[in-house]
Amino acid sequence: MRLLVVEDDPDLNRQLVTALCDAGYAVDTATDGEEGHFLGDTEPYDAVILDIGLPVMDGVSVLENWRRDGRKMPVLILTARDRWSDKVAGFDAGADDYVAKPFHMEEVLARVRALLRRASGNASSEMTCGDLTLDTSSARVAVNGSAVKLTSLEFRLLSYMMHHKGKVISRTELVEHLYDQDFDRDSNTIEVFVGRLRKKLGIDVLKTVRGLGYCLSEPDDQS
Amino acid sequence: MISRSSLAFRLIAAASVVSVVLLIAAGILLSSLFTAAVERSLDARLQAVMDGLLASVELEKEVPKINNVLADTRFEIPLAGWYWQISSLDGDPTRQVASASLLDERLPLTQFKQPDRRPGNRMSGYLTDQSGNNLRVIEQRFTLFGSKEQYSFLVAGNFDELQTEVSAFNNALIAVLGLLGVGLVAAILLQVRYGLRPLSDLQGELSEIREGEQENIAGSYPDEIQTVTDELNLLLKSNTEVIERARTQVGNLAHALKTPLSVLTNEAGIHGGALGRKVSEQAGVMRDQVSMYLDRARRAARAKTIGSSTDASDVVQSIVRTLERIHVDRKISVKSNYDTEIRFRGERQDLEEMVGNLLDNAFKWTGGKVAVGVRRSMSPLDKRIAWIDVCVEDNGPGLPDGGAAIAMERGKRLDETKPGSGLGLSIVSETAAMYGGKLFLNKSELGGLHAVLTLPAARRGDA
Repeated sequence: MRLLVVEDDPDLNRQLVTALCDAGYAVDTATDGEEGHFLGDTEPYDAVILDIGLPVMDGVSVLENWRRDGRKMPVLILTARDRWSDKVAGFDAGADDYVAKPFHMEEVLARVRALLRRASGNASSEMTCGDLTLDTSSARVAVNGSAVKLTSLEFRLLSYMMHHKGKVISRTELVEHLYDQDFDRDSNTIEVFVGRLRKKLGIDVLKTVRGLGYCLSEPDDQS
Repeated sequence: MISRSSLAFRLIAAASVVSVVLLIAAGILLSSLFTAAVERSLDARLQAVMDGLLASVELEKEVPKINNVLADTRFEIPLAGWYWQISSLDGDPTRQVASASLLDERLPLTQFKQPDRRPGNRMSGYLTDQSGNNLRVIEQRFTLFGSKEQYSFLVAGNFDELQTEVSAFNNALIAVLGLLGVGLVAAILLQVRYGLRPLSDLQGELSEIREGEQENIAGSYPDEIQTVTDELNLLLKSNTEVIERARTQVGNLAHALKTPLSVLTNEAGIHGGALGRKVSEQAGVMRDQVSMYLDRARRAARAKTIGSSTDASDVVQSIVRTLERIHVDRKISVKSNYDTEIRFRGERQDLEEMVGNLLDNAFKWTGGKVAVGVRRSMSPLDKRIAWIDVCVEDNGPGLPDGGAAIAMERGKRLDETKPGSGLGLSIVSETAAMYGGKLFLNKSELGGLHAVLTLPAARRGDA
C-alpha cells in the first residue's frame, strides 16, 4: 500500500512518515500544496493524508483539483480548524475522513486502515483468503491460525493483494504501489518477492496469470 | 412631548424666539408709524384752522381781532381740548384774542424753546390743559400788517380723541400679530416634524440592525443624512471586517499551536519514559487551554457581531451530508424533513456549531436511524417573535434518567468510551442561550435521544 503525506510542518511530516512506514506502508511526502497536488495527480496512491493549512496551495483546493481531475483515492484530511464549517468545506471538496489536530498517531493510523479497508470493500480489519488471514490493524499474517513472519515489503505486497482479492494485478501496478517514489524500481525484483512470499505462506493463493501479472484467490477458486 | 435636550426643541425654541422678537419689533414699528400718521393728519387739520385764523385776523391798535367766527364749533365748547389763540410775544393780556373754548385760560407761549423762531416757521408739540386733556399744539409766528411786532398763532387739538383711534389700531395690530405668531409656531412645528422625520426613520433602521434584522442602512435619505448613513454603512462594514479578521487570526493561532502540539504529543509517545509522560500530560493541558481560549475568543468576537441571518435548512443539510460521508460504512438511514424559508437570526458559524454537535452525537450513538427536522416552532419561547426548531432524533441508547442536566454541563461526559471532549451539549445549550434560545432533551419515539433546539427566527426576506 502506497500512501502520500502532504504536511508542511517538518516534524509532524517526519513523525507521520515514520509511523506509517513502521505500519508497513510505502510513503511519499510533500511539504507544500503544489508539490502534493502534483504527486497526487500523477502517482497512483492508495490513500492520501492531506493537511488543510498548506503553503502555496491550500489543502481544500488541492483536494478539489484532484476530484475534478477524477482522482478517486481516499483522502484523510488533517486540520487544526475543527469548526463545522471547515469540516463541511473539507468533505464537500471530497475528503473521506478527517482528524483534528492535535492528534495521536494511533488515531491517524486507525483512520488510514479504515479508509483502505473501505476502499477495498472490506467491513472488518481482518481479511481472509482461504486459510490465510491478514489483520491490518495489528499487521499480523497467519495461515491456519499460525503466525507467519514477513518482512515489511512482503507484508506490503500481500496486503495490497489482499485488498484487491480476485483481481489481476500487473507487475507495474505492484511496483507503483509497493515502493515510494525515491526507490530504485525494478519490476524483476517483484518476482523474487512473490516467490519468497509463496514459500513462507506455504499455500497456493498467489497465482501467476501469464503475461498479465498476479492474482490472489482461494486455492479451489480457478481463475 | 418634546424633550428639552432634543433637536426639535432647539429648532422650535430658536425659531420661536426669533419670530417673537421680530413680531414685537414689527408691532412697535407699525404702531409708531400709525401714531406719526395720525399726528400728521391732525397737524394738517390744525394747520387749516391756523390758515383760517391768519386770513381773518387784523390789528386794531396793536390788538388782534378776528373778523369772522370760525365754522368749526369744537372751538366754542369750553375746555374740550380744541383751542386757538393769537397773542403778542410779550404776553400782554390786553393784546390777545382766543377761542371761546379757552374761557379765561391762556395757553403758555414759552414751551417752544427752539432757537429757530423765524416768522412763519411752524413748531409743534404737546400740552396739557386745565381739564387734563392732552393737546396737540402747533404754533406759528407772523408779523401782522400794521405792526412791526410778531404775534404768536397757536392752534391746539384734543389728542386724546385720536389716542383712542391709536389704541384701537394697536389692539387690532396685537391681535393680528399674535395670530401670525401662533401660525408661525405651528408652521415651525410642522417643519421640524417633517424635517426631522428621516432621523427617526434612521433610528428605526439602526435598531433593526442591532437586532439582527438587517445588515446595513438601506433606505434613501436627504443628502445631509445620506452622508451620515453612508459613513455608518462603511463603519458597519469595517466592523464586520474587523471581526472577520479577528476570527481568521484566532483560526491561524489555532493552526499554529495545534501542529506543534501534535508533534510534541507524538514525539513524547514514541520516546516514552518519565519525560515523555510529562510532556504528553502537559501537551494535553495545553491542548485543553488552547481550545478553551479559542472558544472564548470566538464568543467575544461573536458578542459584537450585528445583523445576520442564516438559512437553517442549508446548514443542517450540509452537516448531514458531511456526517453521512464520515459514517459511510455504517449504513445509517437519515430521515429528514426541512421546511423551506426558515432562517435563523444569528451567525452561520454558531448555528453550525450547535447543529453540528447535536448531529455528531446522533450519528455517533445511533443504532442506524437518524431523523432530522427543521421547522417553524410550535411552542415559541416568546410569542412576540418567530422561532425555529431544529430536531435531531436517533435510535441509540439515549440518556439515562436525569442525564439531560449532566449532559449539558461543561466538560461532563456520560460515556467515556466514545471519543469526544465532552463539550458538545454544553456548547450547544450555552450558544443557544446567548441567542435567547434553548435546548430540550427528551426521549425519542425511535428509542434514543430527541434533541430540540429552539432558536429565534429571522424575519422573512431578511438577508
